[in-house]
Amino acid sequence: MASIDIAPVPVTDVARGESLWSRIRYYAAAHPLGVVGAVIMIVFVFAAVFAGAITSYDPIKTNSLLALAPPSEAHWLGADQMGRDIYSRIVYGARISLAVGLGSTFLGCLFGIVLGLTSGYLGGWVDLVVQRVVDVLQAMPLLVLALVMAAALGPALNNTIVAIAIPLIPYTARVVRSNTLALREQPFVEAARAVGMSELRIAVRHVLPNTLAPLIVIATAQLGAAILTEASLSFLGLGVPEPHPSWGRMLSESAAEYVRTAPWLVIFPGAAISLAVFGTNLFGDALRDILDPRLRH
Amino acid sequence: MGTYLIRRFLLMLLTLFGISVLIFTMLRIVPGNIADILFDAAGMIDVAEKAKLEHELGLDKPIVVQYAAWIGGLAHGDLGYSYVSEKPAIEEIAPRIPITAKLAGLALLFSVAFGVPLGVVSAVKQNSKLDYALRVISLSGLSMPAFWLGLLILMGFVKYFGTIPIYTDPPKDFWSALWLFSIPAAAVGFRSSALIMRLTRSSMLEVLRQDYIRTARAKGASDQNVNYHHALRNAVLPVVTVIGIEAAFLMGGLIVTETVFNIPGVARFLVEAIRWRDYPIVQNLVMFIAFVAVSINFLVDVLYAALDPRIKYA
Amino acid sequence: MAIRLAALAAGILATVALSAAQSAEPEHGGILKFYHRETPPSLSIHEEATFSVNAPAMAIYNNLIAYDQHKPQASIDTIVPELATSWAWSKDQTQLAFKLRSGVKWHDGVAFTAKDVKCTFDLLQGKGEDKFRKDPRKDWYANVADVTVNGDDEVTFDLKRPQPSLLAMLASGYTPIYPCHVTAAQMRTHPIGTGPFKFVEMKQNESIKLVKNPDYWKKGLPYLDGIEYTIISNRATAVLAFVAGKVDVTFPTEMTQALINDIKAQDPTAVCEIKPINVNTNLIVNRDKPPFDNAELRTAMAMSLDRKSMIDIILQGQGDQGGSLLPPPEGVWGLPPDRLKTLPGYGDVAKDREKARAIMTKLGYSATNPLKIKVSTRNLATYRDPAAVLIDQLKTIYIDAELEPVESSAWFAKVARGDYSVGLNLTGNGIDDPDQAFYENYACGSERNYTHYCNKDLEKLFDQQSSETDLAKRKQLVWEIDKKIQEDVARPILYHARTGTCWKPYVKNMTIMNNNAYNGYRYEDLWLDK
Repeated sequence: MASIDIAPVPVTDVARGESLWSRIRYYAAAHPLGVVGAVIMIVFVFAAVFAGAITSYDPIKTNSLLALAPPSEAHWLGADQMGRDIYSRIVYGARISLAVGLGSTFLGCLFGIVLGLTSGYLGGWVDLVVQRVVDVLQAMPLLVLALVMAAALGPALNNTIVAIAIPLIPYTARVVRSNTLALREQPFVEAARAVGMSELRIAVRHVLPNTLAPLIVIATAQLGAAILTEASLSFLGLGVPEPHPSWGRMLSESAAEYVRTAPWLVIFPGAAISLAVFGTNLFGDALRDILDPRLRH
Repeated sequence: MGTYLIRRFLLMLLTLFGISVLIFTMLRIVPGNIADILFDAAGMIDVAEKAKLEHELGLDKPIVVQYAAWIGGLAHGDLGYSYVSEKPAIEEIAPRIPITAKLAGLALLFSVAFGVPLGVVSAVKQNSKLDYALRVISLSGLSMPAFWLGLLILMGFVKYFGTIPIYTDPPKDFWSALWLFSIPAAAVGFRSSALIMRLTRSSMLEVLRQDYIRTARAKGASDQNVNYHHALRNAVLPVVTVIGIEAAFLMGGLIVTETVFNIPGVARFLVEAIRWRDYPIVQNLVMFIAFVAVSINFLVDVLYAALDPRIKYA
Repeated sequence: MAIRLAALAAGILATVALSAAQSAEPEHGGILKFYHRETPPSLSIHEEATFSVNAPAMAIYNNLIAYDQHKPQASIDTIVPELATSWAWSKDQTQLAFKLRSGVKWHDGVAFTAKDVKCTFDLLQGKGEDKFRKDPRKDWYANVADVTVNGDDEVTFDLKRPQPSLLAMLASGYTPIYPCHVTAAQMRTHPIGTGPFKFVEMKQNESIKLVKNPDYWKKGLPYLDGIEYTIISNRATAVLAFVAGKVDVTFPTEMTQALINDIKAQDPTAVCEIKPINVNTNLIVNRDKPPFDNAELRTAMAMSLDRKSMIDIILQGQGDQGGSLLPPPEGVWGLPPDRLKTLPGYGDVAKDREKARAIMTKLGYSATNPLKIKVSTRNLATYRDPAAVLIDQLKTIYIDAELEPVESSAWFAKVARGDYSVGLNLTGNGIDDPDQAFYENYACGSERNYTHYCNKDLEKLFDQQSSETDLAKRKQLVWEIDKKIQEDVARPILYHARTGTCWKPYVKNMTIMNNNAYNGYRYEDLWLDK
């Protein structure tokens, strides 16, 4: 695939002398939707971190007396078919979603950066080989890859994270590679070489930070995508297993049986997923608008 | 241009080879094979019989030998036999391809038909209420799990129309086929259209700021002219690229949609074949899908190179 | 006078019309549509062991004898002739002779003879040249020494010792008669039977099609023109398809109480029945590996189980507590409730748990020092849900269990090599019969005896009840054995599930059996009132 020329601009192109806070305020004012997205994300992160403090029931404990209880004072979002408090499960589920999202994004970006940086910087046959690896990973349909991996590794939280991380690698690698290719010829890199800096140091200290902008955008998009992929995997029978309260599994397991008779089992996990992904998308969009220098007025 | 294409083609072959090795080894690493599953379904393990079955299917030979046998067969058109149905693999795969192709094609059509015009409108009216509204609506499509959207559509149809647009028998004529595939295609397309809309919007925005647009405006060309002739033509390029990427991502959406709408296409079949460890089906089908994906990327590259002479052939 | 005549005429007409509506003569024609939850591995019943196969395939075949398809409780008393017209035991009860029907044709036109019976059992016992690829019920016929043919219409089974249950096995949906002239391999891809419907095609992941057998030996049957199964793997879609009328019947035994509530909310005219399916959820406990090689620990675990709670949570109350055999009234052989209550774990839950905790404390465990184990099970919802509840319940006796979901295809091998300590398992019983239940699951060396439970004295009792021809005496023996098995904590039975089937009101003559899920699918006299 031909490289998309994303003309990179060194990160120093922001107005000097302004405080971080006033810069944030400026960006926030210009991107109200992004602010909404950021707020949503913060709420979920808060819920994940302080889950214990804001819930009063054990999300895993079953209770036959409570089965299918509708929302009430005691159970704000009702209880599921095994008598577990849905509100608690949604809040603890934020942890799972965060783990899956952050874990897979981190893994995917890490390997993507390594691959992209080495192939872009070293060039030659290293580039050729790495490109083929990346092509292979990209040509395999994402869900198929995840399916086979989940089947191979067995259903477990960590394996789900790995399975979802893998399709991110080629995407990240490509972006990092094309950035690296362009930056490699920039004057400030030449200057660093002239001063005698080692290639590795140049790569890590000068080239890498300038690829961060598109990477951040990809990462925020991946957070949402990871949650959706986990939901699809749960639907196909894989994904995060019991007893972890995963939104995707909560939705796919109750979608058939309870949507009419006990809709709270279905609505709330579905809303949680949609809201979380929506938030990351809004935030990611705003972030891209801010960080993509070609769109600056 | 010629040498570039030849090089790309050879690299494409190399990629396909890599994929064949990857899927082949992955399948054999995954625990359980068809013999395990068949005997498991029968609720017994007769070790001798299982070994006999494995020998019959060639599963006890060394991996390299099995791989060579597969590739050798592939070279002269022999895809082997499905382990489950005991029919030739080509007979199982071939009829299902057009079904998924129709679905994918329609989905792509929907996503471009919705995504591009909405992206243009959104870019031209940047930051207006309409822009925000469009972006929110399209994002909401991207924020729902695919199967959930599909199930909501089915439930809506059953509740309000008393029918259900799922596939139970092959459609008899063109119009009923169109009707049958449109709804799942729209479900898949809605989500892809969000991505295309987003990209069209941003590439339109970028182009709208280019110098030559300013020049055209300065020269007095009308807004209409500027928008649709100059801007769109140059905005098309990245969109073409995204369609290439989308074709690969579409597969995931197709798997879920085919499952929900019960369409007997290759996507759903692949999932079942993986469950059954039906190696001949999985291997050949993945190769086919990879071939399509890689070919689309290749075509996109060619198109890209042809459309924009500024691109260097890296 | 004229008015009186007119009134009389009107009255007669009305009565005639009313009785015509009520007597409802079966109509010929129409295709009955089911949905199927998955592609069956094949339609060769002898090679398979799941009702995914029996439900679509039984209509293709006939047995020598069968359970009356319209008597819900299948037992030796409800057996009716099929390919056999009559049968008789010899004086010493070791020979069972069948007189066979004449004029029966296989679906490809070849005539049915007694030789076909011999061919079928040669295949089952592995005696012939042609072999089954899988033979899950070979052990059912371990007691059959030989099958001899006398002419075209008589066949005799020679047994090593008396076994009244042989009739139960022969009547099962699992025991169709296969033709001599068709290979076992071909029966997997294109089965030939003598039954009311002929096999047309099976498209993997799409559909199974059967068409009426015009030469069926029961004149006038079947009423339907054909039966079709649409394979819909996603249950939400399948239920919606049923509600919308795309299919007429749900896959038998698929509907839980929750789904039935859902269906009735959308289509109140649907007919739904929930019956015991003789599939029980049980725990397999690895007695060869610590810590469960300790009998006391096993007993403690058995006493921690709150079965009622499990049934309420997982099945919304649609389940029964019982021993190895299906409990009465639907089950013929199950332990009566008064005897059941005396077993550990079936009585007062709180008291039993206290006793269990005492045992655990004695063994050195406590709330702060729990026993850590893994509960393994197949990675399917029907297995995971009870496992989750089980894990919760084990907490009450200081056992800290973690769920280990295992990919379905790897489950068997894992259990067979003893790579588990506690597993959650489902056991489906093909027939409501002690021979099948005991020998398959508890006999030393049986393939399905996953826990390797081996009690030679008890096996003598297995043989004793198996040869016992007096029903009352046999029941007492069976109860004694069942009690002992539960006390030994061989394989604690959690519950016997009840699940349902739904069909549209215009589907007539559908009977769901209430003590098995493998024998009621001949469908020869179903009809559509459309």
